[in-house]
Amino acid sequence: MMEKTLVIQNKLGLHARAAAKLSHLANMFNSDIYLVYDEDRINAKSLLGILTLAATVGNDITIQALGDDEQEAVDALGQLFQNKFDEEN
Amino acid sequence: MIKSLIITHGNIGREMIEVAETILEIKLDIESISFEWKGDGSSMIRQVESFIERNKANKVIIFTDMFGGSPMNITTQFIGPNVEVFSGINLPGLLKFLSYQNKKIEFREIIKVVKKGAIDGISIISEYLGEKK
Repeated sequence: MMEKTLVIQNKLGLHARAAAKLSHLANMFNSDIYLVYDEDRINAKSLLGILTLAATVGNDITIQALGDDEQEAVDALGQLFQNKFDEEN
Repeated sequence: MIKSLIITHGNIGREMIEVAETILEIKLDIESISFEWKGDGSSMIRQVESFIERNKANKVIIFTDMFGGSPMNITTQFIGPNVEVFSGINLPGLLKFLSYQNKKIEFREIIKVVKKGAIDGISIISEYLGEKK
């Protein structure tokens, strides 16, 4: 399993449009992908699941991926976080 | 394939579709009908009949905004093996439907998943935060 922890940097946090981008991207990979925040671990392929995290700017989120493309999945999702979901560039 | 129609009081349905399209950044294949406040509803019935006729090769879900409201009452007559009516659609329920619409899951199962998504989307936030602590 691949794992990477990132800080949410976009001001709006994991809101609806960011969650939609994240789940859409996660669905492109074969691996099972999860987001972990506090005690919650949700399926990163579920838009509504991501929204239940209610994660905001400054929160740490861990991406976990398990499968044949786990490295690519963690890298791609991590890049989306680092790009602030293309909201502030 | 599942085809869907949202019928609501006022323009709620059309607005929900536009919001979902903005969130998902895609053009959605959903039609909407705004309930006409005046009249006996016969024009709306004809629009629903036309929608079902155009999509008779598909399963159809008609989303309405409120249990017991006119959009639900008028569409109940169309319920059948290939048509179901859903009341109380909200944004989480609609997004859940859109994420399951093209999955190879039985029509009736998808409707149950949508209902759960819509209900799960309702929270009293202080209680929710209390549970998380």
